[in-house]
Amino acid sequence: MIKLTVNSKEITADAGKTILEIARENGIEIPTLCQDERTQMYGSCGLCTVEIGDSPRLFRACSTYAEDKMVVRTDTRRIRENRKVALELLLSDHTGDCRPPCSLACPAETNCQEYARLIAEGDYGRAWSLIREKVPFPASIGRVCPRPCEEACRRRLADEPVAIAALKAFAGDFPGEEKASAPPTGKKVAVIGGGPGGLSAAYYLRLKGHGVTVFDAQPEAGGMLRYGIPEYRLPKDILRREIDLIVQTGVEIKTGVKVGRDMTLDGLRGEFDAVIAAVGAWSSSGMRCPGEDLGGVIGGIDFLRGVAEGGGVSIGGKVAVVGGGNTAMDACRTALRLGAGEVYCVYRRTREEMPAEKDEIVQAEEEGVIFRFLAAPAEITGGADGKVEGVRLQIMRLGEPDASGRRAPVPVPGEEEVLRVDTVISAIGQKPELSGFEALEKTKWGTIITDERTFMTGLSGVFAVGDATGKGADIAVSAIGEGRKCAEAVDAFLTAGGFPVAESPYLVKSEKTPEDFSEVEKRPRVKIKNRPASERARDFRETGAGFSKEEAGREASRCLSCGCGDYYDCKLIKYANRYAVRPERFGGAVHRYKVPDDDHPEIVRNPEKCILCGLCVRVCEEVKGICALGFSGRGFDTTVKPALDARLRDTACDSCGECARACPTGAIMTRKPPESP
Amino acid sequence: MKITVGKGSCGIAAGADAVFDLLSEKAPCPVTVTGCVGACYLEPIVNVDTGGAVRTYVKVDENGALEIVKLLAGEENSAGDYAMKPEDGENGQRIALRNCGLINPENIDDYMERDGYKAAEKCARSLSPPQVIQEIKISGRCGRGGAGFPTWFKWQAARDSEGDKKYVICNADEGDPGAFMDRAILEGDPHAVIEGMIIAAYAIGADEGIVYVRAEYPLAIVRLEKALEQSREKGFLGENAFGGGDLPEAARRFDIRIKEGAGAFVCGEETALIASLEGERGMPRLKPPFPAQKGYRKKPSNINNVETYANIPWIIRNGGEAFAAIGTEKSKGTKVFALTGKIAKGGLAEVPMGCTVGDVVYKNGGGVKDGKELKAVQLGGPSGGCIPKRLTDTEIDYGSLAATGAIMGSGGMVVMDETTCMVDMARFFLDFTCKESCGKCTHCRIGNRRMLEILERICRGEGKEGDIELLTELGGEIKAGSLCALGQTAPNPVLTTIRYFRNEYEEHIVDKKCAARQCKPLLTFSIDGEKCAGCTLCAKKCPYGAIDGAVKSAHAIDAEKCVKCGSCADVCKFGAVNTK
Repeated sequence: MIKLTVNSKEITADAGKTILEIARENGIEIPTLCQDERTQMYGSCGLCTVEIGDSPRLFRACSTYAEDKMVVRTDTRRIRENRKVALELLLSDHTGDCRPPCSLACPAETNCQEYARLIAEGDYGRAWSLIREKVPFPASIGRVCPRPCEEACRRRLADEPVAIAALKAFAGDFPGEEKASAPPTGKKVAVIGGGPGGLSAAYYLRLKGHGVTVFDAQPEAGGMLRYGIPEYRLPKDILRREIDLIVQTGVEIKTGVKVGRDMTLDGLRGEFDAVIAAVGAWSSSGMRCPGEDLGGVIGGIDFLRGVAEGGGVSIGGKVAVVGGGNTAMDACRTALRLGAGEVYCVYRRTREEMPAEKDEIVQAEEEGVIFRFLAAPAEITGGADGKVEGVRLQIMRLGEPDASGRRAPVPVPGEEEVLRVDTVISAIGQKPELSGFEALEKTKWGTIITDERTFMTGLSGVFAVGDATGKGADIAVSAIGEGRKCAEAVDAFLTAGGFPVAESPYLVKSEKTPEDFSEVEKRPRVKIKNRPASERARDFRETGAGFSKEEAGREASRCLSCGCGDYYDCKLIKYANRYAVRPERFGGAVHRYKVPDDDHPEIVRNPEKCILCGLCVRVCEEVKGICALGFSGRGFDTTVKPALDARLRDTACDSCGECARACPTGAIMTRKPPESP
Repeated sequence: MKITVGKGSCGIAAGADAVFDLLSEKAPCPVTVTGCVGACYLEPIVNVDTGGAVRTYVKVDENGALEIVKLLAGEENSAGDYAMKPEDGENGQRIALRNCGLINPENIDDYMERDGYKAAEKCARSLSPPQVIQEIKISGRCGRGGAGFPTWFKWQAARDSEGDKKYVICNADEGDPGAFMDRAILEGDPHAVIEGMIIAAYAIGADEGIVYVRAEYPLAIVRLEKALEQSREKGFLGENAFGGGDLPEAARRFDIRIKEGAGAFVCGEETALIASLEGERGMPRLKPPFPAQKGYRKKPSNINNVETYANIPWIIRNGGEAFAAIGTEKSKGTKVFALTGKIAKGGLAEVPMGCTVGDVVYKNGGGVKDGKELKAVQLGGPSGGCIPKRLTDTEIDYGSLAATGAIMGSGGMVVMDETTCMVDMARFFLDFTCKESCGKCTHCRIGNRRMLEILERICRGEGKEGDIELLTELGGEIKAGSLCALGQTAPNPVLTTIRYFRNEYEEHIVDKKCAARQCKPLLTFSIDGEKCAGCTLCAKKCPYGAIDGAVKSAHAIDAEKCVKCGSCADVCKFGAVNTK
């Protein structure tokens, strides 16, 4: 037995052991990427460095035997610096994507790649459960989301993006097992507003064991999903079903109650341990032109809500909808369905600049909406009866790009046109209506100011998310993402009394070009089958049918699995985050390898992720006695590959997968990727 | 009467083969060969032994050979122009090089005439293995391969290690750019190395010896092979060596074989060398176990460098005390340096420890070539560091050199004058180590590469503020984080040049200037109208048509088109091309 001191702690250990072994036995973690008990000492990664006694050198803990009276330090500043540099160097030549671009683009961070795989494998229930870890409404969001994920989808570089949203909607039809809530904490949270943001916050807080009450001003919960999105895009039965699941977890929803009318913010603060304001942006922005007050001029949101509430909205036969966003498209198409004979969409830029989803524009056009581009209302003209008779349009042209990067519309002097209509719907933006929330500080846009990280307002214990905050109205999935993250912050606030420092993790990302996918087999995207335009424009039934199982499987299998399959097990990324790396300062040459023999039945190799720890080579040789892999080349250009450039399947490899298990990164994986924890 | 022609690699490169053939054909006496005497700058060297006196002729070409023939035929005044000047005859204090340039390396009798194999005999007849080790211990001999580890300690460890078989290995994988003393010894006095190995084998109880020699040394291999053969014939190696008798069993059958290395610099690292010997990838491994415990084929092995072995017979014959009497308190004996670069007298110099770097450069090396100013000396090759002119009075011993940031290393000494850009020099050496890294350790494999990239961009004029600090930080971490000496020392040339010539780095980074005019992207080329004769040669040579001018009138360079290749300056016979 020997006695040594590790980090000022006296430790007794058997002689003949390394410092790393003794540290592990005593719960002291020393990082290493190249050590495995089954193989001989190797010492390549340089992470396990420690200081011993007064020696100015650093020692490798994996290969330095402990001696009696040794004084070892495993976590000094100097050691941390050395380890950090080692990690930065490794990462400076480590190419890949820890997370798939789709997930990174999703404001709610949905695991798109993984649910696509589960759908492809036919495991719909687990796909549903996985989506609901981030998004409580798969069926609803899958139908209405503008799909930033598909914008980022790498398959776009090969042919067309994967229909990620449609797959989500598909999975929404196959509910799996609901996650069990944590034991009650005794804490109570009030959520004001039962839209996507509020309900998400409520759901994830409930799962953490808190008591949650949602207060909603409308007769039914759902917010904009219920009252802003038309029935033909999102059948309300589907939304109701998903809200019911949230209620079943124990979330209480009180409808028809409004802060500022039926209760006060202060009152809620007194009654609950925390309050989340998720009141949305329900007020249509005005067009700021004469004639706005005429009869027959309606705000876009008011119009859609009126229709969704079931009547009380009357329009004429000729309708002009002003605006180019999704609300404008919804208003146009709803107007058609209400029987308007002529529906114009008036937009001051051109089709290319329209913020609405391309698919929505196409469908609106198919259904008969007439687009009037490069035109802005100068005046709404009315008759003696005080009702709209038409819109005088100022003709525009495109000038220089503005702050948003889009070319700004500029009036063409003297060019005007008159559109004869009897209804004008203004769909150019929306803002929150915040009476009752006077105590909260607002931005110049009239939205609530919150802390970016914690979502807390200036009032302790009062949080806010969604369209009523920050830069204002955004897409539903953003509110959902904020709702979930806010739930985590509120949970920390309630249970720990503070907020964890949740920096966004360091991730390896790569740039790809179409050439990178030149060898991908072209397979067209499976299209949603819409009913004929002439038919669907006459009713409020859903415009298209979702995927069949066969279609869903076919589409899901188009996913290229860009995200690293080793992300949840990767030691490199784990340490990278622990040591707060900045590899960009060591930017330089980066290896690009073509996967040399991607035809092995079980093993997938990606040399661009290899950190040359040699574990695959050593495990194959020392544990298995097979030697299917070896080193090739020298110095910076060293690689791991079978001898004489053979294909791995032509070596003695017996597909045991030990190399993949030993690999600390995603450089060697088995064909079936590991799953998220 | 006898004629000897210096036919080391340096002599042959200078034309010794033709001289030898001519003399063999025409001279009236036997003509024989010898190795490099160390004065490579004087090759081909011919010694004429007229019985009474030996006269030396240098830089002998075919004409010189004919003159020598005439001289031997009685023409007294012949070959006078080729006679060596007295001041070039200074030979230093020679232990390792004691026979080089004096004996015929291909004839064992020459070696034996100069007390060859007497040390081995002495061991076999009158010294026990522990006594041998004791003698080496007294001598204070440290390894001359680079690390400077006490030789006796390694021998003792190998002797003390249990093993049914032990090996002595000679590291002849001399790889430092600018180092060639091991080659000279193998080519000039191979038996000294063999005898040293025999003594080491006897001391540790090894029955097999291996010389790991780089394949780029073909002449050394040939001479070593011949020497081994002759040594076996004489009964110094192989079955029943030294007549058997009451010698230990291993010593009675000790023999040596040659293993040619494929030229990886890192195989000079002993664990990588062993891996290579075993047929594995030449990659260092962790120590312990040390080779003395588990070396070649997991058996106790002693590895020493060529120069170290070549010293051993002298020490045994003259006693450890005699060796220890030379040098400083901590560094004993002599050291062979290979002088290259901007030095007047390039070649080998064996000097006693304790003399100064300046002594070697000015006394042995005759100072800087072409009368230029000394700027710095790079010591220890790519693993070493530079010593600026102001520190040339640094004593040559392990400690004093280490204090400057340089290392003794294997003894490569590259002399630099004012035309050497220190950033470019550091880049050159780092480029070498990057290419020679085995690729195992993170810090060495990627770190050195990143340092090189930073240096390259500094030399291209793309250096950024903070680069010097980044180089310093990274260099420190690489030294701390690398497993073997290659990685641990690779940043030295960069770190020492930053230490002593930081201003040059700053000039490159901030002012985008290279005062030594070596970094071409930082130069502007122009033509001095006064000097230009209008010969048009530069305009014809310019690959980018950047030079314009009529015949016999001054030319001019179009800076827009100029790619700074420097070919105009190279061809100009009037020195009219200016670089700034």
